[in-house]
Amino acid sequence: MSGYTTSGAQQPSTGAAADASTIDIHSRAVSYTCGDCDGDVQLKRGEPIRCRNCGHRVLYKKRTNRMVQFEAR
Amino acid sequence: MTALSAEELLKRKTLKVGVETVSNQQSTDFPGHWPGESHEWDLEHFKQNARVEFVKEVSPLDITFSLVGVDTSFANALRRILIAEVPTLAIEDVFIYQNTSIIQDEVLAHRLGLIPLRGNRDAIRWMKWYQKDEDVPDHEPKNDENCVRLSLNIECKWKEGGLERAKQGVTDPNELYENHSVYARDMSFEPWERQTEKFGEDPVRSSHPDILIAKMRPGQQIELLMHAYKGIGQDHAKFSPVATATYRLMPTIDILRPIVGADAKKFARCFPKGVIRLDKVSAEDEQSHPEECAGKEGELKAVVDDPSGDSVSRECLRHPEFAKKVKLGRLRDHFIFKVESTGQFDSDELFLESVRLLKVKAARIKRGLEAVDR
Ligand SMILES: [Zn+2]
Repeated sequence: MSGYTTSGAQQPSTGAAADASTIDIHSRAVSYTCGDCDGDVQLKRGEPIRCRNCGHRVLYKKRTNRMVQFEAR
Repeated sequence: MTALSAEELLKRKTLKVGVETVSNQQSTDFPGHWPGESHEWDLEHFKQNARVEFVKEVSPLDITFSLVGVDTSFANALRRILIAEVPTLAIEDVFIYQNTSIIQDEVLAHRLGLIPLRGNRDAIRWMKWYQKDEDVPDHEPKNDENCVRLSLNIECKWKEGGLERAKQGVTDPNELYENHSVYARDMSFEPWERQTEKFGEDPVRSSHPDILIAKMRPGQQIELLMHAYKGIGQDHAKFSPVATATYRLMPTIDILRPIVGADAKKFARCFPKGVIRLDKVSAEDEQSHPEECAGKEGELKAVVDDPSGDSVSRECLRHPEFAKKVKLGRLRDHFIFKVESTGQFDSDELFLESVRLLKVKAARIKRGLEAVDR
């Protein structure tokens, strides 16, 4: 096992992640997981941190779909 | 050079196995050891003496055979080439898009690398090396000839009604979740360009589909791409084509005085099954060994059946009644090879490949020596 690289140059040709820089930073909704009901919560900039379904205030950030490259060693 | 008797030659090449010692291990068939004997390396001598004997084939991936009449250095060179220098295909780069399982990315990548792969053998032989040198600016690009692509996309979900069953106290994951175990069979081959045609009906897949890669619970997901290249065991153990490639020397068992009656049964039990056979004492035995056999015609007598199965535990030497009657040893030039393939190639193909690679290495040295001479 050794270190990983996140450089875009190493991106393989299939299944590439969406280019984040082209999406407007103010309209981008980020998806969280509710700590109580396990449901999906979409939050935009400035919104209260709260589950729309059950009102729970603890939300967990999800892992992004950004590719990370590893050497299988 | 005077011709040596077969008896003398056998004595020279037999290791003596004592209770606590092994002697006569060193080979002596090299120039300058025996006065008046050459022992210079000779191709004709090698051709006449070296031979390969197949004893039994358990399966194509697990073979046992004898390599007879060669020096240890030769047998060991083949063994080491089998382990470290026969190229195979293994996963080297892993591109992880999503991994929410409890296995960390690094560990997951490492585990994927160790999975033995198989596929159309001609296509794998057709493939070339991928020079993975990031420092060279325009290093060889990946193409269908040097890179095999595989993918693994799997998500764990609740089964129909699984949540209700969990509430009722059911804990068996097979009843509750879909895809809770990720196996090597879940990887899929992504052929590109000529690979589709070359691999055809025999895609790249794990040679052991039941290898467990990770365990998951509902909501967890693994999504990744893998690039497999050709490599050799010297670089990383995952590229080694064999699980084991070992040899041991042929054991010898010489029964000096007849072992008869109840002793014969006890003697046979000192060895693994099939090594010692129990025959009947004959009239000739009574004549030739009256001390042990007089009046015992028809009783059991221990006879060596197949010494190759002996583990040389020396158990028989622990019993005073046998210690003087038996001589244990090993033949220095008889190698019992055992080659266990990981599944990419058959064991016999691997052995032939190791011979070919040794020839290539010898030719390289020869070229080097010729360059020195010039
Ligand atoms: Zn909630």
